[in-house]
Amino acid sequence: MLLATCCLSPQEERVEKKNVNRQGRKRIYEILDRVQFQTPSIDVERARYFTQSMAQTEGELLTLRWAKALKHVAEKITVYITPGQLLAGRAGKPGRYGILYPEIDGDFYEEVISQLPKREKCPFTVSQGDMNIILEEIAPYWKGKTFHEHLNAVMPKEIRGVTYDDELGLRSKFVVSETASYRSALQWVPDYEKVLKRGFIDLQNDAKKRLAALDLTNSLDLWEKKPFLDAMIIVCDAVMIWAKRHADLARETATAEKDPHRKQELLRMAQICDHVPAHPARNFREAVQSQWFVQMFSRLEQKAAAVISNGRMDQYLYPYYAKDLAEGILTRRDAMELLECMWVDMSQFIDLYINPTGNEFSEAYAHWEAVTIGGQTPQGEDATNELSYLFLESKREFPLNYPDLAARIHSRTPKRFLHEIALTIKDGSGFPKLINDEEIVPLYAIKGAPMHEALDYAVSGCTEARMPNRDTYTSGCVYINFAAALEMLMYNGRMRRYGDELVGLETGDPEQFNDWGEFYGAYKAQHMNLLEKAFQQQHIVDCLRPLHFATPFSSVLHNLCMDACKDLQSKKIEGGIDYSYFEFLGYATVVDSLAAIKKLVFEDKRLTMRQVVEAMKADFAGFEPIREMLRNAPCYGNDDSYVDAIGKDIDAISQVAAQKNSKERGVHVDLRYVPVTSHVPFGKVVSATPNGRKAWTALADGTSASHGADKNGPTAVLLSNYHSKNYGMVNRASRLLNIKLSPKCVAGDEGTKKLVNLIRTFCDLKLWHLQFNIVNRRTLEAAQRDPSNYRNLLVRIAGYSAYFCDLSPDLQHDIIERTEHSDF
Amino acid sequence: MSDEKQTGIVFNIQKFSMHDGQGIRTMVFLKGCPLRCPWCSNPESQRHEPERAFNPTRCLTAQVCGRCLEACPNAALRVIEGGIVFDRSRCTRCGLCVSVCPTGAQSVYGQVMSVGDILNQVERDDVFYNRSDGGMTLSGGEPLAQPDFALALLREARRRRIHTTIETCGHCPTALLDRACRHLDALIFDIKSLDSEKHKRLVGVGNELILRNIEHVWTHFPLLPVLIRTPVVPGFNDTNGEILNIRKMLPQRTNVCFEPLTYHRMGQPKYAYLGRDYPLEGIEADEGFMKRLRERLKILDP
Repeated sequence: MLLATCCLSPQEERVEKKNVNRQGRKRIYEILDRVQFQTPSIDVERARYFTQSMAQTEGELLTLRWAKALKHVAEKITVYITPGQLLAGRAGKPGRYGILYPEIDGDFYEEVISQLPKREKCPFTVSQGDMNIILEEIAPYWKGKTFHEHLNAVMPKEIRGVTYDDELGLRSKFVVSETASYRSALQWVPDYEKVLKRGFIDLQNDAKKRLAALDLTNSLDLWEKKPFLDAMIIVCDAVMIWAKRHADLARETATAEKDPHRKQELLRMAQICDHVPAHPARNFREAVQSQWFVQMFSRLEQKAAAVISNGRMDQYLYPYYAKDLAEGILTRRDAMELLECMWVDMSQFIDLYINPTGNEFSEAYAHWEAVTIGGQTPQGEDATNELSYLFLESKREFPLNYPDLAARIHSRTPKRFLHEIALTIKDGSGFPKLINDEEIVPLYAIKGAPMHEALDYAVSGCTEARMPNRDTYTSGCVYINFAAALEMLMYNGRMRRYGDELVGLETGDPEQFNDWGEFYGAYKAQHMNLLEKAFQQQHIVDCLRPLHFATPFSSVLHNLCMDACKDLQSKKIEGGIDYSYFEFLGYATVVDSLAAIKKLVFEDKRLTMRQVVEAMKADFAGFEPIREMLRNAPCYGNDDSYVDAIGKDIDAISQVAAQKNSKERGVHVDLRYVPVTSHVPFGKVVSATPNGRKAWTALADGTSASHGADKNGPTAVLLSNYHSKNYGMVNRASRLLNIKLSPKCVAGDEGTKKLVNLIRTFCDLKLWHLQFNIVNRRTLEAAQRDPSNYRNLLVRIAGYSAYFCDLSPDLQHDIIERTEHSDF
Repeated sequence: MSDEKQTGIVFNIQKFSMHDGQGIRTMVFLKGCPLRCPWCSNPESQRHEPERAFNPTRCLTAQVCGRCLEACPNAALRVIEGGIVFDRSRCTRCGLCVSVCPTGAQSVYGQVMSVGDILNQVERDDVFYNRSDGGMTLSGGEPLAQPDFALALLREARRRRIHTTIETCGHCPTALLDRACRHLDALIFDIKSLDSEKHKRLVGVGNELILRNIEHVWTHFPLLPVLIRTPVVPGFNDTNGEILNIRKMLPQRTNVCFEPLTYHRMGQPKYAYLGRDYPLEGIEADEGFMKRLRERLKILDP
């Protein structure tokens, strides 16, 4: 056996020795250094002009109102050209910034905005002048009009009881949490390729043709389709006006520019912005600019979860890249610089959560503008190209936390691509995450997607997949705390955090259960009760959202919306597929707890139920031996069929219920395990659990093992995941899986090969998602003690990478406590 | 008896081994060893029979727990100055204390397992072996110290199409090694020193049999991939001359590799759990020497 000599990942070397290689990236670092660790500020302009317009258009079709509002924003909002930047298009002022969407939460700005600079997680600054605008111009209009107020007002009492912990519906109960009221929509990917190929003039002409073809004696055509198509025409104007204003500003700036080189750059920028996105892109530079305008304008339109994603960038940009390279007008280096120009501007747009619950869900200024690379073509061939490699190389050389890089893996992924993925993972900053075609493509196809579209999916948000012209479901989805169900089982429907309030079902004193069957039956009753309430809650959300949200810009880019003349936020769109999900929180916490009781109380009879409950009530103080026995019972994540079988059954019963609900609601209701950072706040309402977890600490995340419970290495973690899945059922969505490896474990060329093999096996096992942290525990501990020296340390959280020092102490602790797998 | 029913004493099965043979492997550690290397990092592997161990750092203490004190029928466990002390001379290895211990502080190294049970566990990682060309590595102790059991494990692994490797100290009857090699896909073989006197002084036996055995492998299994390993132990064999001489005596074949192992003390706590003293107290590896040594070896391995 070898010695465990200390071995650092490349990232750890950089952080410890402070030797970031900046060579060849003067422009990029000049921009980044100005802004990187700034506290972001709020820019009020989008909210201000949006509100001004909405106040003028009440009573009209919502899509049309939204289009008019976007046009007003496009005309009025300040446009900026960042010094040194090659790309134009910001949604707010220089530096790190967040923008407001008062249509979501304008009603409680008074309570919250003044707290933003002071809040512990993700603070924002706001100037006094802007504060006045918010409180005097913006907030008053939205009082009584927001989705969140509507939802809070109509939610039936029995559902409200598991949803909110206050009258206003601002504080979540963290039992059955809705996420629809703190963002406009679920994560989303627009069809960028369409814009690059056709341009907005052509898309607008398409709308005009459809408008001309309407029969205005037909009620539907007159009252629904006409205003929709008017909106499409207006929103195309809006984005073109906005781009044109950037062209004008670039010319103006060029006039005043003394440096002849920069002057040329600005003039070229002006020409490009004159041309795109109105017209088709003619080269790589125009394609990247056009794409950037589209994603930034999408952000002005709505606050989609995780921020608008970038789609299959290596696919739709490749023709332009290849052509320019062949013509000799672009070098590999130029292309990389241009993309990195995009990354540094992306890093400045911060996904601002006003809602305190929303803020708990994604710490460290998280946003996930996923860039998808690799995968298969619509005809099922391997899609890897030179740009796929360029993205990886850029990430290794310039490891910024944005964009989130996602590699699609399939059974024929080339060896070179996997090798470079492994090298990038080994760098240690958590990129790329891996998404498995072998799981996703057949699942989407069997749920109704045409095969070529399923093969062409883009990664969206943290671990989801989107087909930009087929997906039509946009509601933020429900998060269910099943560790709470477990607690209700142990306390007859109550939770210690909520005192005597009956939150769940009264399943009786747990000591009355005679055998495992009765006990597990009672758990299932609690589980199903939360699930039912969750589905009902989600349906209310689905019904109310179209009354409050519209997205004309996203709709004009969606084939089905244009065919149906319906906004993407509509409840049902012909030909669309609605992939909805519900989130399972605390999977391993629940599974391990049930297994511990099954084994120790009912089978081995080493403990009585009373002892377990007493120990839980005391948070194990004075009951350490009992806690140890519980912790040493079989745990999920060790490839132990005893416990994995329980996990599999819970997954199955949840899917059976989901299947029934899917039929009722006409949408696919799929089981997902992707907590982002919410396993921390959801843990804060759950007292001690029978797996030995202490009260109020984080729940297990995603389908990862409980903290420190996986003792048999990463192969066992992957296998537990595999054995607890129900491949014969289809009401399933993403399962997030974190694996932490020590750098030594994958050291050298041999280590890279073994990492490649591990990824191949992940693909064989048809697991949905996998991500790695390659970091030494002691580095994390050092960063916790001495943040100033570890400012640049990136870690993988849950579908995204973030600076470790931006995380709350709770989450830092959570990451440190994840088992680090070293080789044996 | 069929191979699957054969039993032996195993003290650990470890998944995801990355450095003991090709690919991702599962290590099966067999108990018992004919040598007594003072640097041994698996002291629990040395004796053939299962051994009781007590790890005081995992113990919740007598005040908090004390279950083992109550369970022991022979008063082998007592409290002295607040801490639990284990008196091996009174222990009959009945296992009662182990069964009540909540933390695993009281444990037994080694349990009887059948070949079938072991291979069933090894086979669970088959999907990883497929992609990495990994498989099972028998280690110890000295795996060939349980000859019938080790051979049955290798035969059964072969039958199940699992890649086989053993890590051996080489001190075993030549005929036995020969039989094992017939079921091996690769061999990892330790050569600790070419100086038999020194060898005997430190590990208890001379090196004649070991060297004869490796010669046998060169002659009779010329195609078998072999990794020769030498633990470089400060004060024992840590000179360039000694290590390079081992390297130089190996045949120049592409299927023969050499690897010096840096001395480490990861096994030290286990000596205490077993109630033994660590023989090499205070010795540290010389990282600089190892680095230079590897560079010299690189020149020999073009």
